[in-house]
Amino acid sequence: MRYKILTVDDSKTVRIIVKKAFKLYDCEILEAANGVEGLAVAAKENPSLVLLDITMPVMDGVEMLTKLKSDPNLKGIPVIMLTAEGGRDHVLKIAKIGVRDYIVKPFKEDVLVQKVGRIIDLKPISEAPTKAKSIFDPANILVVEDKPAILEQITNGLKHTPWQVKGVATTGEAIDTCGSTAVDLIMISLSLPEESAFTLFRVLRANLKTKYTPIFGLVVKTDTGTQQQAQQVGFTALATKPLDLDELEAKIARAMNLDTSERYFRQEKNCLVMSLPEHCSNHVLNEVSAYLKGKISDAVDSGISQVVFDLHAVKRLDMAVIKLLITAMQACQEVAIHYTMIGSTELAKECHGYEDTRGWTFYETMDDAVAALKPGTPEMATADAT
Amino acid sequence: MSLVETIPDHVVQDSLDLAVAEVFSTMLNETSTPAEIETTSNNLDLSGPHVVGTVGFIGEPKGLIYLYFETAFAEYCAGRMLDMSLEEVIECGDEVVNDVIGEITNMTVGTFKNKLADRGMPCRLTIPSIMRGSHLKIEPIHSANRKVFRFDIGGQRLTADVLLQPGD
Repeated sequence: MRYKILTVDDSKTVRIIVKKAFKLYDCEILEAANGVEGLAVAAKENPSLVLLDITMPVMDGVEMLTKLKSDPNLKGIPVIMLTAEGGRDHVLKIAKIGVRDYIVKPFKEDVLVQKVGRIIDLKPISEAPTKAKSIFDPANILVVEDKPAILEQITNGLKHTPWQVKGVATTGEAIDTCGSTAVDLIMISLSLPEESAFTLFRVLRANLKTKYTPIFGLVVKTDTGTQQQAQQVGFTALATKPLDLDELEAKIARAMNLDTSERYFRQEKNCLVMSLPEHCSNHVLNEVSAYLKGKISDAVDSGISQVVFDLHAVKRLDMAVIKLLITAMQACQEVAIHYTMIGSTELAKECHGYEDTRGWTFYETMDDAVAALKPGTPEMATADAT
Repeated sequence: MSLVETIPDHVVQDSLDLAVAEVFSTMLNETSTPAEIETTSNNLDLSGPHVVGTVGFIGEPKGLIYLYFETAFAEYCAGRMLDMSLEEVIECGDEVVNDVIGEITNMTVGTFKNKLADRGMPCRLTIPSIMRGSHLKIEPIHSANRKVFRFDIGGQRLTADVLLQPGD
C-alpha cells in the first residue's frame, strides 16, 4: 500500500521541504494551502496522515483540526502539527483536540520523517543500484564487535564474497556509520557491555534508515538465555560462536534475500549447466534442490533442451550428493531434456562402487559433454531412480 | 507598569539571538553571530535592494519583527532552504524567494515569541508578509519599544527590527 501524506501549509517553501524529506520513501505527498483546501483534499483522498500548520489564511489549522476530528469519516486520520506556534500552554491546548505529535518549526527533515515513521510504516523506495540482489552484487555489512579476533574471523571468512565488511567496537560508532552509509546487514555482538547490544538494536529499529535492515546477534553457542532474549526482541537471526562461516554466509544471503542460484546454475553453449562446489554441505545441497526444478523449467521455457551436471570440482561423492543428482536427472526426464556430466576420473571410479551410479558416464571437459549430448550419441548418462 | 516595559532588554536580545541561531542552523545549516545592538535609531542604515519579511504577534506583549535581507542574501537563503542552485532560484522567480523569506521570518518570530510564551508572556503569530524595495524606513508609533539587532550570517548581514507594544 502506498501511503498518502497531506501537508497543509500556506507556505509553499514548507510544502517543498516536506516533499523533499519524503522523496526517498514510498509515499505520495498531497498539498493544501489552508484548512478549507486541506479538508477537501482529506475528504477526497483519505490520506494516511496529515501534517498541519496553524497560522494560515482562510481557515487556520486549529479550525481544520476541530472539523476533521468532528467528521466521522475523517476523524481517524492521524495529525501531526507542524507549526511555528509553540509554547507549552499552546501545545497542550492543541493536543487536547487530538493530535498524534507536535513539531515546532524550525525542523530537521529527518526528525519529521522519524516522527511520521512512528505513525505509518514508511518504507524506503528500493533503488536497484544500491540494493544487493544477487550473490555477486556488492553489499555493506557492519559488524559491531569489541573483540578484534572475532571481527578478523568474520572479515577473513567473507573475504571471497563481494561484500564489504566494516567493523566497529562501540554502539556510538555503529550509529554514526548507519547514519552516513547505506548498510545492508548489521551484526551486533550480544556480549557488548551493559546490554548495549539490545539498546543499539532498539535505536536501529526506531530509525527509518535501518528499520528494515537485517540485524544478526553474535552470541556464544552455550548462552541460551541471551539467544532467547535476542529472539524475543526480534533479531533477524543469530550467529553462534564459535562461528561456522559457511553457515554465516548462507544466513547473510538469506537475510538479504539474495539470489544465490548463480553460484550453481548458468547457461553456456545452449545448455543449462549445474555446477556443484568442492564441498557439498547440507546447506549447499538444500539450496541447489530448492532452485533445481525452477531452473530446469526456465531453461525449457527459453528453448534450452540440454543440461550438463558439472561435478569437476567435487572431490568425493556421498549419498546426499548422489540423491540430489538422481533427483536432478528425474527432473530432466520429466520434461524430456537430455543431460550429461563432467567429472574427474577419480569420481567416475568412485561411482562404479555404488549400484545406483555404476552406469554414470563422466566427460572431462564442457566441449566433450556438449558433444555427447548431440542426437545419436550413445554414451548419454542415464539415471536409475530405483 | 506594562509587561513590555518590564521585559528586560537582555530577554529580548537573548530570545532573538537564540531564535535566529536556531532557524539558520536548522534550516540553512548556517551559523549566526550577533553584531552590535542599536536600540532606538529610526535609521536602519540599509542601502540597496532588500527583501523584508514581517510577522506580528498578538497577545501580551504584541509587536512586529521585520527581518531585512539584501536581495542577494535572500536568494542565497532560498537556494539553501530549497536545495537549489542560485541559477535555479533566479529562474523560479521572486515569488519563491519571497515565500522562503516569509517562512524564515515566520520561524524566527515564532521561536522568539515561543521563548517569551515560556516566560509567561503568551501571544499568537500573524501571517507573514513580504516587502521589497530600497531605502526602506519604518517609523513606529511613539508607544512602541524599538530595538534593532544585526547578525552576521555566512559573510552576509541580517537586520532585525523589533517593535514591542503593551498587549490589550
